[in-house]
Parts: sequence; C-alpha cells; structure tokens
Amino acid sequence: MVKTALEEFAFLIPILPALAFVITFFFGKKMPAGGAIFPILAIAGSFVISFMITLRMLGNPEEVISQSHSWFAVLNFGVLIDPLAAVMLSMVSFVSLLIHIYAVSYMSHDPGKPRYFAETALFTAAMLSLVLSDNILQFFVSWELVGLCSYLLIGFWFEKPSAAAAAKKAFLTTRVGDVMFLTGIIILTSDLLKLAGGFQDGTYLLRFDEIFSYIPQLSALQANIFGFEISHLTIITLLFFGGAIGKSGQFPLHVWLPDAMEGPTTVSALIHAATMVTAGVYLVARTFPMFIAAPDSLMVVAYLGGFTALFAGTMGIVMNDLKRVLAYSTISQLGYMMLGLGLGSVIGLEAVGVSIFHLINHAFFKALLFLCAGSVIHAVGTQDMRELGGVGKVMPITAVTMTIAALSLAGFGIPGTLIGTSGFFSKDPIIEAAYIFGEHSNNWIPYLFSIAAAFLTSAYIFRLIFMTFTGKPRSNYHGHESPAIMTVPLAILALFALVFGGLTRTGFMAFLEETFTNSFVNLNIGNLAGIGRNELIGTTGNEPLLILWLPLIVALAGLAIAFLIYYLRVVKLGPLASMKNPIYRLLYKRYYQHEIYTEFLSLGIVYGVIAFLTQVIDVIIDSIVEAFGIITVGVSEELRKVQTGVVQNYATAVIAGVGLLIILVKLIMEVI
Amino acid sequence: MLPVASLLILVPLIFAAVTFLTKTKGQAAGLGFTGSLATLGLAIYAYLNFESSTAAMQFFESMTWIPSLGVNYSVGIDGISMPLILLNAIVIPLLILYSWKEDRESPNRFYGLILTMEAAVIGVFVALDFVVFYIFWELTLIPLFFMVNIWGGEKRAHASYKFFIYTHVASLIMLLGIFGLFYASWQQTGIPTFGIRELIAQFQFFESGLLKDAIFLSIIFGFLAKLPTFPFHSWLPDAYTEAPTAGSVLFILLKIGGYGLFRISLPMLPNTGNPELMIMMLGMLGSFSILYGALVALRQKDLKRMIAYSSLSHMGYVILGAAGLVTLSVSGAMFQQFSHGLIMSILFMSAGAIQTSTGTRIINDLGGLAKKMPKLTVVMMVGFMASLGLPGLTGFIAEFLVLAFSYARLPGFVLIALLVIVITAAYHLWAMQRAMFGVYNEKLGDIRDINSMQVFSMAAIALLVLYFGLNPSPVLNMMISNSEAIVSLAAALGV
Repeated sequence: MVKTALEEFAFLIPILPALAFVITFFFGKKMPAGGAIFPILAIAGSFVISFMITLRMLGNPEEVISQSHSWFAVLNFGVLIDPLAAVMLSMVSFVSLLIHIYAVSYMSHDPGKPRYFAETALFTAAMLSLVLSDNILQFFVSWELVGLCSYLLIGFWFEKPSAAAAAKKAFLTTRVGDVMFLTGIIILTSDLLKLAGGFQDGTYLLRFDEIFSYIPQLSALQANIFGFEISHLTIITLLFFGGAIGKSGQFPLHVWLPDAMEGPTTVSALIHAATMVTAGVYLVARTFPMFIAAPDSLMVVAYLGGFTALFAGTMGIVMNDLKRVLAYSTISQLGYMMLGLGLGSVIGLEAVGVSIFHLINHAFFKALLFLCAGSVIHAVGTQDMRELGGVGKVMPITAVTMTIAALSLAGFGIPGTLIGTSGFFSKDPIIEAAYIFGEHSNNWIPYLFSIAAAFLTSAYIFRLIFMTFTGKPRSNYHGHESPAIMTVPLAILALFALVFGGLTRTGFMAFLEETFTNSFVNLNIGNLAGIGRNELIGTTGNEPLLILWLPLIVALAGLAIAFLIYYLRVVKLGPLASMKNPIYRLLYKRYYQHEIYTEFLSLGIVYGVIAFLTQVIDVIIDSIVEAFGIITVGVSEELRKVQTGVVQNYATAVIAGVGLLIILVKLIMEVI
Repeated sequence: MLPVASLLILVPLIFAAVTFLTKTKGQAAGLGFTGSLATLGLAIYAYLNFESSTAAMQFFESMTWIPSLGVNYSVGIDGISMPLILLNAIVIPLLILYSWKEDRESPNRFYGLILTMEAAVIGVFVALDFVVFYIFWELTLIPLFFMVNIWGGEKRAHASYKFFIYTHVASLIMLLGIFGLFYASWQQTGIPTFGIRELIAQFQFFESGLLKDAIFLSIIFGFLAKLPTFPFHSWLPDAYTEAPTAGSVLFILLKIGGYGLFRISLPMLPNTGNPELMIMMLGMLGSFSILYGALVALRQKDLKRMIAYSSLSHMGYVILGAAGLVTLSVSGAMFQQFSHGLIMSILFMSAGAIQTSTGTRIINDLGGLAKKMPKLTVVMMVGFMASLGLPGLTGFIAEFLVLAFSYARLPGFVLIALLVIVITAAYHLWAMQRAMFGVYNEKLGDIRDINSMQVFSMAAIALLVLYFGLNPSPVLNMMISNSEAIVSLAAALGV
C-alpha cells in the first residue's frame, strides 16, 4: 500500500514549488514576509516526498519509479526516479529549503520580496523537474527554465546596471552551451528516427531507455568532419558536454559565474549549490552510458574538468571580493566533478559515484560558504575582504560554521581512517582515481591538475577565512551576529558539511552505481565500455601511501601559507601581490578574459563586422526596391495626367494588368 | 449545421459595414468588438465541431458562380486553415480592447477596417476556388494600406505605397501562375475549373517540366513576398514600423503567405520538374531569412524596427520546416505560423505601449522602464522570452519541431538556424536590458503603465502562448493530420 502511494506523489516534487511560484507571484504582496511561507512549505513537501522515496529505494535500488505521458507528437513527459535522481532530488530540495528559510530574514528589508520568493520557487521547481526527467527533451526544457530563472534572479536588482548586465551575460553565455546541447538533441532525434525506421507505436522517441538502447548503432554511425572519422555518438556526447560546459561554468564558458553574484547572496547560494551549476554535471551523469561508449568525449570531459579545476583556483587566490573567491571556488570544484566523470573510461560506473558524491557534499559546504558570506555582508555591509578583518569576534557562529565549510572544501581528513570532513571523502577519491587513470594510461596530466588545484583550494579558502575573521578590523563597520532564522540553517549545513561524507561514503557510492541496472534500463556498462574499447578497472584502495596522503599534505601546505601571510602576517607579499607583478596582474585581471570575450569576440567579430555587412546588404536590397518604386511612381504620375481619380486609376491598372497577364500567359503557353 | 465557413467571412464583413456608418468612438469600438466577438464565437463553434484526426475538408460549401469559366464559390475548413482562423478570431477582439482607450481620428473607419481585414484574411483561409482566393487575397491589401496611410507614423505615405505596390506586383505574378495553371489544365481536360484542389490534382499530369516549374515558381513568389522572406522583404520593416500598433498586429495576423505555401505550393512541389532543387531553394531561403533577420535586428536602434526584423527571422522557420517535408517538420512550420501570430502581437503591443507612454521607440533613449511600467514589463518579458524560443512557450515547440525534423533532409541549413539562436537571444536581451532595466531615464518624465484593458488583452495572449507552449496538442494535432497528407503525396513520388 505504502509503495503505490509514494509513487503517486512523485510528480508533486516539481509541481508543488511551481504552484508556490504562481501563488507567491500573484498574492505574495498581501502576505507577511512576501509570501515566503508558500515556497517553504512547498519545497518542504518536495523534500519529504523525495527523501521518503530515497529511503525506500535504498533497500531496493532496482525498483525505480517511471511514469510517462504523451506530450505532443512522438514526445513525452514523465518522471524517472532512480538512485541518481533520488539523491539529487533530496539534496536539491533540502538545500533549497534551508536557503529559503534563511532568505526570510536575509531579504526582509527588500520591497521586492514577493518576486524574489516566487522566482526562487520556480528556480527550484525547474531544477527538480530537470532531475526527474525521463527523457532528454523535458530535461532540456527544464534546463532552459533554470536558465531563465537565473537570468531573472541575477538581475533581481534590475535598477543596478551591473546587475542587469550580469543577468544578460549569464543568459547569453549559457545560451551558447544550450545551443550545443540542443544541436546534440536534434542530431540524436534525426539518428534515432533513421535507426528505428520511423515512428514506433508505443515508444517515446527521446526517452532515456529508448536512447540508451541505440548506443551501439549510434556508435557505429560514422561522420566525416574535416577528414576525421568521428562516430555520431562522439559528436552527440560532445555537444551535450558543450551544454554542460555552459551551465556548469567550465572553461571557456565559465565567465558568467563570477558576475552572477550581482544577485542577492541567497541566489548565489542557490545557483552555486542546489540548482543551475550542478545541472551540467548531472547531464553528463544522466547520459553516462552514452559517454562511456564514446571514449574521446570522456577524455575531453576529464581534461577540461581538470584544467578548469586548476585554472579557476589560480584566480580564486587573488580575488578581494568575498563572493568572487567563492565563485571561482565553485568553478574549480565543478571541474573536479567533471574530472571524476571523465575518468569513467578507466573506473567505469564508479565515476558517477564519486562525482555525484562530491556534488552532494559540495552542495552542503558551498551553500554554507555562501550563506556565511551573506551573513557577513548582511551584518557588516561590505564584501571587500580588504575592509573586513576581525569579524570572528562579533559573529562567532558565522565564523565557526564558515571555517567548517572551508575545512570541508579543502578536503581535510586523515587517510585510511573514518576521520574527515565531507569534502575529504569525495574529493580524495577523485584525486585517487586520477592517479589510477595516470597509472593505467601513463597520462599524468589529469592527476597533476587535480593535485595542484587541491593546493590552491586550501590556500584561497584559508586566505578568505583569515582575511575576514581574524586580525583587526580594517574599516569602520558595526557588525552583529545574525538572527537565529539565519544561523540555524548555517548550523544544519555545517553539520552536513562535517559528517555527511564520513557517515555515508561507502553506501552512497555503491547506491549510485546501481543507477543503470533496474526496471527502467538494464545496461551492462562493461559491454558499453567495450564499444568504446575501454578496459575498466576499479579503484583498488591499494595506492601507495604517499598518493593517499599527498592531497592532505598539499592542503596543509596551502593552509600554512595562508596562515603565515594572512594570520601571523610574518610574510609580506609586497610587490609580489601588486599590479607591478605581471603574473599577479594576469591573475587579478582574470587572464584578461573579459577584454578578450567582450571586446574581441562578441563586439569585434559578430556585432561589428557581420551585422554591419548584413545591414549594408539590407540597404542595397531596399535601394533596388526603392528604385523600382521611383520608376513606378513616375509612370503613375504620367497616368494621372491622362486620367483623374484614384479609384479609376486603380481599376484601370487592375483591368489592364489582368488583360496583359492573360496575353502573356497565352504567349508563354504557345512557346512552351 | 451552420454554414460556418461563409458566416466567418460574412459576419465580420457586415459588422464592418455597419461600423463604418457609426458616428462616435464608443459606437465604433463597441460595434467592432461585438462583431469580432461574434466571429470568435463562430470560430469556436467551428473548432468544437472540427474533427482533428482527418485531413479531409470540413464545413464544405459550394455554389456555381461563373459556369462558363468553371468559377465556383466554394469554401471549407481543414487542419491547415482552422488554427489560423482561430488565431485571427482570438487576437482581433483583444486587439480592439487594446486600442479601446486610444484617441484617434475617424474611429468608425479604424474599427471598420480591422473587421474588413478579419473578413478578408479568413476569406483567404477558407477559399477553395482560386478566384475567391485571389479576391480575398487582394482585399487584404486595402485595410492594411489605409491603416498605415491614415494612422501611421511620419513616413506613413511612403511606407504604405511601398507595401501596396510591392506586394501587389508579387500578387500579379502569382496571378500569372494561377492563370497558367488554369489554362494548362483547361487545355488538357477540356473542362475549365478554378478549383484549387482540382487544379493541383491536374498539375501532375502537365507534360512540360518547364511549364510546371514556371507555374510553381510564379505562384510561390507571391507567397514568399507576402510571408515575407529574404530577399523579398524590403516592404516589411517600413510597413511594420510605420503602421499604428493595431496595423502592425494586423500585419502579423496576415498569415496568408505561409498558408498559401501549405495549401498550394507544397502539394505541387513533388510534381515540379526538379523537386530536389525546389526544396534546396526553400531551405536556403528559410535559413537565410532566419540568419539575416537576426543579424539586422541586432543593429536596430528603433525597438519596433528590431521587432519587425525579428519577425522576418522567425518566419524563416515556416519556410525551413516546409522544405524539411516530413510530417513533423511541416507541422512545426504550421505551428510556427500560429505561434508567431500570438508572440509578435505581444511584442508589437509592447512597443506600441512604450511609444504611447514615452513618446519614443529609440532603445537608447529609454531605460529603466520596469520601475514605472511593471505590468508592461511582465507581459513583455513573456513575449520576449517566447520570441527567443524559451521552452514552455509556443515558440520553442515550433522551432524544435522544425529544426529536429528538417535536419534529416537539410542538415546544413538547420545548423545555420541553430547558430542564430544565440544571436536571437542577444538582441532580445540587449533590448530588454537597455529599455526596461537599469536606472530610469528621468528625461522621460512621469509616465504611465499600460491601462487595465491593455493588461487584459496582452495577458490573455501571453497566457495562450504559455498554454499552447505547455500543451500544443489541441492545435498541433490538426496540423499533423494535414501535414501527413501533404508529405505522403511527396513520399509516393519518392521525394
């Protein structure tokens, strides 16, 4: 009885927050706290349903929830909750719920509260709908709605020109990825139709089980691009990954993410932790069976992820804005998740396990970091770390919880034991997997990326902690600890950032690895990997001791450097950290990406040249038309001298024209 | 059963005639609204009695008119015309509400012309005889000409004549093709007829490939210029921009070019001398229009002109989907006509409201309007998001169907269209950011938001865009039946 009842509620997971959006949008103004109660209750409802489904599924991961309904033509919408979706749904609704509660106080002085809560409810609904999609089209639709909500929320304070600009930038940059994703879907649709020989009754064209069943054939279809033979599967997966690059802020489409902090800090927490950026990682995980049969695509994922992890870390270390450091940190951590997935060509399904495990842990400590930052900004009124210092004395709870989040982000823990933060239990396996990948393929680049990024992560986050919370205030601010409605969510998240990873580590990853063998799809990942000529070896846990300890050692080194410079202040950076140092300048200017992207790419090429030329063509075409017009007017002027009155003129023209036409037709007919 | 097809023409025509005779604004608007509501009632009646699962002609009526030439008054409705009739019947009353409170010269003529336009456009949609078709086709020119010429902007005279002459010349070339079809068929069968379906059926038996191509090309030219498509679009930016808001919306509802494509050109296409070449030509025109319209839109300073070019870009999907020539791509193209009519109505109404309030349409002279016009901003945002193809709204359904299902036949052209999606997003967001967001431009003074009737009419259209974006099947299923019929003709000939 209970079983059937739960399934019947599954569709409510995205519907409840969507309803809350409608209610809050129209009636929020008349409600206390901008109608925040509706989103909070709705998302709490989504969480309860998601969590109960997850609990039930833990016992029997093969029995998934799958419901499909015809949408239009051969396409459907539906619900698919398997282990992967279940943990994501629980995390998204849980973190979003805490952020909503926190926002009641954080946004209390803002007159736009109803709009805020309506839009965040929709944001959550879109993300939940994305997670439980059972087909790629619904996934894309939700994906785009997530993009729309981020646009609306980043530009929440639209009267600020910088916020309006950041919103536009986020939408357009991710749109570049979205178009790649859409192109992938379109090529896939066309291929599936060809392979299936037209529409089949009773099957939905773009449902995941349908797509996965054609993986061998898709892999066999070859296309010739610039002389290279590439399988359609590789093209499609690369295009999907293009979408993921945009949404998950991977190089080179990461530029929108640091600017996205123009929105309220709670929005940043939502974007960086629960919704939006995790969508790209989830896309690769969701379509992992396709990726594993396309080894070239997985290689791209691994390289780009590893590179992004390092690249973003280098910028995080020089930023002076509290939220900007965190933004680069998110980019870097998403790089780790992508790297983890990319290693699937060697470690198989374990890749989904470690990557999503890190995604979940990251959601806890990153939401916590942002909410702590919000707490500081809310109390102190500035987010420039050069003006902070000593905040720990006035905001002890915030300081402690944020330090916990930092320890989790930096991945502190003792290898070989059960002692460690959540981040430790998910980040170290990724680094270890990169080591195994290196050993197996003799390609050490991903490993080097990941270990160097680990060092930078620890350095930049403790720089942030020391600059913000320790020392003497560097400006006149009046801080106070935030109220309980804000600190309680902080404490809850801190608990999760600290112990969730340690408590769940083995079971969690094993659970996720059950994702593709169940009543919905039953795939043999080994066989699929065989299509891609991959040889799978799992992680052994028997790596050399140094390899196990190295992440901790580099993290300690990062911590030590930050401690010496920003806490003890015994090492003075001086000219090293000034604009005179070209490397510092390069990092501080963020590799001049802004200049390169805006001036050169979008303005210089697209906007300037092509659009201008097109407009010239338009003027030319129009001039030709106008020239005809002038001749016609000239002729009609002549006619007007012969006859008067517009009506007669028109009638004559029509009659003469029709007569002429009939003669013409006759003539042509004779000739032909 | 009612003779619905005829009534759908007669009712607005009679109301138009009476509206012309009214003296005051209240009478004119009231009568106009009543007439358009009556037409909406008829359209809904037709829809409720419409069978979506068949491609057959429904509500068929026929009367002999000029027997010696085989001219009949015959009308009917099928899945190609029903959605477009609904589109006009739904938007026209809302358009009248939208312009209810505007003060203008001779309101009797204004509302009379709107109803005349509705009758003429529906006339084109239901006509099954080329003579009837052409009469209504040409009748649509007259209200539009006067709309621009009387109530238009500064360059109204130039814009109205340009539109009139341009599309009239195109219509005459189309007429040439119709006569060619008529004579060739007469010669072959010995029986004169102007029946659209009869002539198309006879078309395949013509012996000369050259003659078939000539007839096909001259007829389709009339449609392409009306649609319009690159490079026959020069009349569009001037006419759309100079027209008053109601006129721009009437232009948007003038879906007769695309309709002709589906009703007449596509069934003829497989029988032309070189169908592959024709398909390539259409595919190229479609994807070029999409690209070209978007690029020019990116350079526009005038909000309304930007929307006009955006409209050109979006109509490219109609041609591209038609050229894709599989059931769902053709249905997508038809759906794009329906969707475009709704979305662009919101956009032109928004641009009109901004001009009425602020006195300007130049994007850089606006700024921060969201603060003073919050209601407009919400509906305008829905319109803009729909126009840039956001899923959940009708534009996405149409574009997805066209792109996904034209890809098999025309991959290169589909890829061009895909690249444009980013440009489309760019000019929409750029305009939104400059005009609506940021700091309010105090030079504009104290301005007013849209009035309650405008809120109602724009929100109603926005809700339809949302509803059919989430649940396209009620409209799409009608189109699929007829697309299947068109495509099976082509498939039978190996095209």
